[in-house]
Amino acid sequence: MKNIYFVTFRSVTFAQRGERVLRSSGIHCTLQRTPRWMEEQGCGYALRLRTNQITDAVEALRREKLPIRRVYQQYSSGDLEEVKL
Amino acid sequence: MIYLDSGATSFRKPPQVSRAVARAMERCASPGRGGYRPAMEAAEEVYRCREEAAALFGCLPEQVALTTSCTHGLNIAIRSLVKPGDRVVISGFEHNAVTRPLHALGARVTVAGRRLFDWEDTLSQFRRALEGKPKAAIFTHVSNVFGYILPVEELAGLCRERGIPFIVDAAQSAGTLPVSLSGWGADFVAMPGHKGLLGPQGTGILLCGSKPEPLLYGGTGSASREQEMPQELPDRLEAGTLNVPGYAGLTQGLRYVRRVGTERLFAREHRQTERCAIGLKRLGLRVFSGAHQAGTVSFLGRSDCEDTAAALANLGVAVRAGLHCAPLAHESAGTLDTGTVRVSFGFDAEDAQTDAFLQIMGKL
Repeated sequence: MKNIYFVTFRSVTFAQRGERVLRSSGIHCTLQRTPRWMEEQGCGYALRLRTNQITDAVEALRREKLPIRRVYQQYSSGDLEEVKL
Repeated sequence: MIYLDSGATSFRKPPQVSRAVARAMERCASPGRGGYRPAMEAAEEVYRCREEAAALFGCLPEQVALTTSCTHGLNIAIRSLVKPGDRVVISGFEHNAVTRPLHALGARVTVAGRRLFDWEDTLSQFRRALEGKPKAAIFTHVSNVFGYILPVEELAGLCRERGIPFIVDAAQSAGTLPVSLSGWGADFVAMPGHKGLLGPQGTGILLCGSKPEPLLYGGTGSASREQEMPQELPDRLEAGTLNVPGYAGLTQGLRYVRRVGTERLFAREHRQTERCAIGLKRLGLRVFSGAHQAGTVSFLGRSDCEDTAAALANLGVAVRAGLHCAPLAHESAGTLDTGTVRVSFGFDAEDAQTDAFLQIMGKL
């Protein structure tokens, strides 16, 4: 079973480019608003990923110089935890 | 109507442009503000526009700031690089969109290269003017009055070699000549959406190679708790709700340009420029033409330029007369007191249209 992650960005434009980068790497993701508690500066967008290769995904985003804010993992209980990569 | 005023706006657009505008009005809400479907569709529309522009102009999508016009973009670019009292070098063919912001800032302006269609003069004058290490250089790619294509790659090279930041005004070239932010190493390149890019009026693009200063401050849908404008592009320059239908139309214009190719579009316009210039000369008129000319020809008629344009309008021909918001260019060419009649061709230019215009001119 694949894990669920959220990669957050400050700007919708970066999140959109990130979406294209991941899709072209064969990693499925969906673009959505960042839950408020994940973004202390208020308002942002996140990519929701279902993958077991989060390190590869984050590396692909960083290779394209996309400024990632944070990465969170969502557990089956629904709890979320920040992941340092 | 014989429409020969594409230098002002491309009047007839590919039909997919207006279809996209209508579709966006029906389906899109505010981009970058919500997570519901019409908001996400709006964000997608806007991003597609950035993607198309980035692919055409050699940059990343976030370096494409969406503006309301080329003038808007030039104001941002100029205010980002030039402070009151700074010395700036500009070409002798700049539009008021460049000279007025500089005047408002109280910049010390050096005008370099005033001879039409003369690359040697333009380059040697710029070389000399850049010696004093000005704060910035600004040059148009193509004169909006005379169609003179400036040696922009070489000018960019001169600025890069000397570490002088520069801005290119691509108002008359975007869509018909190669424009590349990364290729030129420009700090900023400004362009309208409604001319060679075939989008709706009220749209424009500023390509950002450097960090700009915002001209407008306000909501961006990002980092809302911060009172400083975001550091990231394009949010830094895009306060307020964007013109989504306009950019949806511009996306289609950009796609058309990419599909047909700037080379073909230029060749089409240039063929008519030459045909028109030859025809007008045969009528005994003073025509401004030469090497390095794009899809625009200026000429002096037998009567005042405004009277000539008015007579042409009555006969169903759309041209533009006067100073074309570029008194500096007219001063350079010696036509400040007379103005000129300007004929400018678009993506749909064809022999029959030019010949019909020449026939009418022959009867005036």
